[in-house]
Amino acid sequence: MKKDKENIMVFEKVLLVMTDEVDQSMINTAVGLCKKEKSKLYVLFVIDTHRINRLAQTLRQKIDDIYRTVEETGWQLLYLTEDEAVENGIWTSLHLEEGSLSNAVSRYVESYGIDIIIIKRKDEAKRIFINAPVPVIGL
Amino acid sequence: MLIKISDFLKTDAIFMDIKAREKLDAIKELVDKMVANKCVEDGKEFMKALAKRENLESTGIGDGIAIPHARTNAVQNLVLAFARSPDGVDFSAIDGKPSHLIFLIASPEGKKSEYIMALAKLSRLLRKEPVREQLKAASSPTEILDIIKKNEE
Repeated sequence: MKKDKENIMVFEKVLLVMTDEVDQSMINTAVGLCKKEKSKLYVLFVIDTHRINRLAQTLRQKIDDIYRTVEETGWQLLYLTEDEAVENGIWTSLHLEEGSLSNAVSRYVESYGIDIIIIKRKDEAKRIFINAPVPVIGL
Repeated sequence: MLIKISDFLKTDAIFMDIKAREKLDAIKELVDKMVANKCVEDGKEFMKALAKRENLESTGIGDGIAIPHARTNAVQNLVLAFARSPDGVDFSAIDGKPSHLIFLIASPEGKKSEYIMALAKLSRLLRKEPVREQLKAASSPTEILDIIKKNEE
């Protein structure tokens, strides 16, 4: 865990994890934290394929149709977050992945040296709370 | 609101071969061409907005694609342009690869939702490998536009 000279934790790299259930408060929290800490913001939208399969069964819709909607929503949320971050002078990097939420987050934390994760507190996020090697803010 | 990339991208804003290798040089080359073709009036202000944005993020989204973008009142409507770079441009992409397909998007400050939707549409379109391959192989601006039209849903 990174700490400064006064032994206070520093968050140079913040990972905001989004799914189709994201809300504006998450974006505000991430941008606010990055502004305060002068951090870089990595924004990851995960297309959770298990969730899409479940939704397709429940809603009796085609998997492809749900996937298309979720992907488009994902890109919109990524660019919306980026727009707010850039307005606040925050360096931003956007990523879209598909698969398992916890696997994607683990991979990003390791690959990019993430210092803190912000995620919506939902069932799928439980494993991230338990296994993450860095602090997690659940909203 | 439904946005179609092909409604905003015109053949006179499609450039098949740009020469610059560095990202700001490539954007400048693209902006200059857009000004020459009267796609944009205030090229200086337009360039300033795009450069400011480039300093705060990597618009190289990987897989050989870059989407430089900005909201600026240097344009009056949503503006799209495309350039292809045979040698590739270093856009500090997340996968470290040079960008060969460069899409530029700009909109006025007040048209945020249109701008976000256009960026989302384009990003989704370019995630498809066959589309990227077709764009790389195309031989004319008309063909580029046809590929986009055909693959838009």
